Amino acid sequence: MKLDAATSAGDIPEGLVEPSLYVGKVTPGSLDDQVLAFPETRPPRQWYIALAITLTAALVGVVSIGYTFYIGIGAWGNTSPVFWAFDIINFVFWVGIGHAGTLISAILFLFRKRWRNAIARFAEAMTIFAVICAVIFPLIHVGRPWLAYWLFPYPNQRALWTNFRSPLLWDVFAVNTYFSVSLMFWYLGLIPDIASMRDRTTSKLRKLIYTVLAMGWRGAATHWQHYEKAYLLLAGLATGLVLSVHSVVSFDFATSVVPGWHMTIFPPYFVAGAIFAGFAMVVMVLVVVRETMQLKNLITMRHLDVMNKVILAMSCIMGYSYMMEGFTAWYSMNEFLHHGFMNIITGTYGWAGWVTISCNILIPQILWFRKARTSYFWMILVAVGVTIGMWFERFVIIVISLHQDFLPSAWRIYKPTMVDFGVLLGTFGIFFTLVLLFARVLPVIATTEVKAILPDAQPSHHGDDHHA
Amino acid sequence: MSQTKNTSNLLWGAVALGALGVLGTYAAAGPERFWANWILWFVLLFTLGLGSLFIVALEHLVSAKWSVPVRRIPERLATLLIPAVPIGLIALAAVPVLYPGARPEAAHHPLLAGKAFWLSLPFFSVRTVISLALCLLGLWVLVGGSLKQDTTKDPAFNFRARKFAPAFMAIFALVITLIAFDWLSGLTPEWYSDIFGVYVFAGAFLSGLAATALCVLHLQDEGRLEGVKGDHLYNLGGFLFAFTVFWSYIGFAQYMLMWYANLPDEVIWYKVRLAGSWRLITILLAGLHFVLPFFALVTRDSKKDPKRLRRVAYLMLGAHVLDIYWLIFPVLGAGPHFSWPELSFALFFLGGILLWIRGAMQKGEDMPVGDPFLREGLEFRL
Amino acid sequence: MPETSYAVLGVFETPDALMKAIPKVRASKLGTVEAYTPYAIHGIEEALGLRKSPLGGMVLVMGVLGAITALGFQYWISAIDYPIITGGKGAGSWEAFIPIMFEVTVLFATFTAGLGMLFLLNKLPFFGHPVLSSKSIKGITRDRYVLALEAESEAFDSAAAARALQAAGAIEVEALPAPDRSPFLTSDNILRALGGIFAACVVAGLAMYFATKWFPLLAPMKYMQDQPRLNAQKASTFFKDGHGMQQPVAGTVARGHLPTATGTQEEAASLVNPLPRTREVFATGRKVYTNRCEVCHGAVGNGVGSLTAAYGAKPANLQAQQFRDYPDGKIYWAIVNGKNSMPSHAPYLSEPERWAVVHYVRALQRAQNAKDEDLKVATR
Repeated sequence: MKLDAATSAGDIPEGLVEPSLYVGKVTPGSLDDQVLAFPETRPPRQWYIALAITLTAALVGVVSIGYTFYIGIGAWGNTSPVFWAFDIINFVFWVGIGHAGTLISAILFLFRKRWRNAIARFAEAMTIFAVICAVIFPLIHVGRPWLAYWLFPYPNQRALWTNFRSPLLWDVFAVNTYFSVSLMFWYLGLIPDIASMRDRTTSKLRKLIYTVLAMGWRGAATHWQHYEKAYLLLAGLATGLVLSVHSVVSFDFATSVVPGWHMTIFPPYFVAGAIFAGFAMVVMVLVVVRETMQLKNLITMRHLDVMNKVILAMSCIMGYSYMMEGFTAWYSMNEFLHHGFMNIITGTYGWAGWVTISCNILIPQILWFRKARTSYFWMILVAVGVTIGMWFERFVIIVISLHQDFLPSAWRIYKPTMVDFGVLLGTFGIFFTLVLLFARVLPVIATTEVKAILPDAQPSHHGDDHHA
Repeated sequence: MSQTKNTSNLLWGAVALGALGVLGTYAAAGPERFWANWILWFVLLFTLGLGSLFIVALEHLVSAKWSVPVRRIPERLATLLIPAVPIGLIALAAVPVLYPGARPEAAHHPLLAGKAFWLSLPFFSVRTVISLALCLLGLWVLVGGSLKQDTTKDPAFNFRARKFAPAFMAIFALVITLIAFDWLSGLTPEWYSDIFGVYVFAGAFLSGLAATALCVLHLQDEGRLEGVKGDHLYNLGGFLFAFTVFWSYIGFAQYMLMWYANLPDEVIWYKVRLAGSWRLITILLAGLHFVLPFFALVTRDSKKDPKRLRRVAYLMLGAHVLDIYWLIFPVLGAGPHFSWPELSFALFFLGGILLWIRGAMQKGEDMPVGDPFLREGLEFRL
Repeated sequence: MPETSYAVLGVFETPDALMKAIPKVRASKLGTVEAYTPYAIHGIEEALGLRKSPLGGMVLVMGVLGAITALGFQYWISAIDYPIITGGKGAGSWEAFIPIMFEVTVLFATFTAGLGMLFLLNKLPFFGHPVLSSKSIKGITRDRYVLALEAESEAFDSAAAARALQAAGAIEVEALPAPDRSPFLTSDNILRALGGIFAACVVAGLAMYFATKWFPLLAPMKYMQDQPRLNAQKASTFFKDGHGMQQPVAGTVARGHLPTATGTQEEAASLVNPLPRTREVFATGRKVYTNRCEVCHGAVGNGVGSLTAAYGAKPANLQAQQFRDYPDGKIYWAIVNGKNSMPSHAPYLSEPERWAVVHYVRALQRAQNAKDEDLKVATR
């Protein structure tokens, strides 16, 4: 009886109907022709120019890292007591960027948010590239990078084991697991798409490469069944992982007793910040991809609108965390905490604190307006702001907390060197080089997943696809 | 019909019997024991109601469709916030008894003197009254509007709810943090943990979810939620599972960081809870609030299985009570108190809560029939 | 159509058509029915009567195994094989093992899910499947929905299968020949593989040889070598005597130690007894005096002990004016270094014990020469 009442409810009024996830007519065939054609055509000149720029930046990084190897860590600005500076700031920054990809591919998959399908592939790729950039930093900071394998617990002639009570070792496990799982997730998603490319290419060499990469995928129903199950399981596991990885990164700081580091809110707050920064990066890249690769029909304003809403939500969570930090600094009646917090807003590096607060909390508030969420100008402004703000947030946490700790006689000002900036620029170069290569070599949109949400893609007795 | 009447009589009997015990507690076991119990049930009532209201607001915030057919359940559960108001106002009498920060000595305590104003009874009361008022506002907009929509079928409510939901989230964050810091961590005002609000939020949301799942299953038994399928149950079970893990994650992160840093002003809180028989309660809490439900719900099919879901929902509600007990009772000193006063309070409040829910379950239609998304929600498939 | 068909494929244009055809084709009972689609179709498992994927169970088991492995490994290393206390945490502190345990659990579980799906359940990679070389494969990975009737036995009738598929609505049918079942590990292939490995080794070896020969070895992290520090077997340019390690300044006391007597007895005269005059100190002094000194110096310090007569030695009479005038440091010096026939007591007595004896000797001297005001102190 209730069911009758429900079905007689009126039509959904305008304004509540969600806009379509694509524009115009999209069929499985047209989707393939549009997306899978990129690897087979010559890139435009702008692509080469962009590649030249990013490669130059990457080269600067390589030279800076080489110089670091030649001179040693002394080439950086790290001093006592700021033993950790750009290296760990950049590490946390890049690992964080990766989290957006895992969130989109895993958590939103579990929530069955269909808008994720068109952007998941790109975000996942960015996860992998970001983690690659991140792992550079601990490796070059260990001092003797050729002995970096000592980080792993393996039986050796020194009869020594790694210290399992050290949060830095937890990082080794967390980041390695994160990279392996992200790569597996990405590759599994790619297999059916690569199979499509295998079956449409005319070039012999490409055919060979795609054949090997697709592992002989043939789209059998028995295979899809296991594949879907595996994807669901991976999504569930990656959801836990995405929480754990940045939590473990936060433990590097929070397990210590350094005022400003020892905060119980750090784990969830780091995760939220990571997603926040990652989404900003994805928005930036998506806008460029959407415009230059003519993907406006598949990556719509609705996608960007929703992404910006997530950024706004994360910004509010960040605001709550900052507020709690400030509140605790007062509520604890602990003079060290209090001093540390005052340093953020009034100390030598107070400007960095205000950059963080304004870029992460104030500027994103513009996204409350729908106009801003669907305007390139505002969303790029916010995304760039968030990227800067989140980098400075790590600067604030690391440098401000370290440069004045319990012992006033040891207080010292930290100044980065040009080599520090060179390595940072280099990782941006490496990241965008990889993004550019990816955009031309592999399918940028998960065609298989988008096909599955097109109208009439599913048998009609499964009538839940009317409002795709 | 007579059966429901019998149950009703039974519940009234429980309340009457419990009331005797409650009065007896004040006389025989002392005001501290009395107020500790009172706060336990106030916090339970409040987190249950607010957690349910959060579910409703979350649906509007992310414009979820699948949950529309079951939305009326958390809406009705959220009305528990109404009896929470007088109980909370009465609980303010406990502040000078149980809360060291509100006693005159606090002004000379080295750690409390600076925040004595914050902890003092007047400001404490102001915060509580504002929190309760904000909750009632949320209830009025989200639940009241939804009930009205049953008859008006006016989609204007959906627009309003979507506009209000983000604001409610801000209210929610503020209120749950205030409640957590004032009523729970305020019992040991020297202790601080900035994640504590999130911890209490996780427990509140979990209790709201468990109560929702339980009521859905009960109404289904009565044949009242036609059209709600295993797919809907699966999502409820999935949320229950996910937030069991989330609660454990927050709880463990807080414990681990304090254990690791080993700062005296922090670990004292855990020291009390890991000493003597409280250690057992802590282990029990970890087992009942995490290990058991985790393994009970980890497989895909178990999230759809009504029998198992019901058991887990009961378990989660019990574990939530244990959680609050674990947060409050160690301040009474000595080992865990559990005896006739606790039992009579349980009788009194549980009976009352069940009576209230039974009444609330008659409010409005069983589904939000005026919501334009109801059809889509009913057609939801995994 | 050849009789040795592996399967017959029927092509459909929409998922609806495919789903409608499945029961009909299954009812024909001509062979195993399999579907090939560009993406996963909801509900096709039930239509095809597939069994549930066992992947969930596998992942759960492997996840639990991962958790146990990680916890056991960490506990074994940190508490059994190499127990070391760091940061004041006990050897078996489980709290610190949880993060790695979680990561390893996820690692085991994801690898089981991903690789188990690919290799174990789907038996990939498999490049020789007949469907891959069919005409329909282009459609399968693009926008066509294909139903296959696969041969179950020699008696497979491909013509009947084709008819059944057409009757079910297939717009095209295609018969696939039986797969090429020649073994992969032929002698040719093995030879090729060995040759390839050999060639790779030669190339790598040559590359290593020329790389080390032509490129000068760089010394990375040079600043660690170039520090202004004294290397082993080198003379110091900083100190005049050329030693890197210098003698400590005279009178230096090591941390945690009391001043001790080096040099002559006269030099030790300036040492001050660092111990307070407490009951405990006097008790220690008395005990040590009774054990070590009394046999020679006597119970009251008058030089008449139980061994004095037996050995014919003449121990010092500590009550003599000479010793009563000694500063504490000189008595201490005698305990540490010995005097005349008295041996050094330093090996047996700790620094506080030596100083405690000095206090006690002072007490003995005062007790034998007590003044009126001392009595007042005693009776108070």
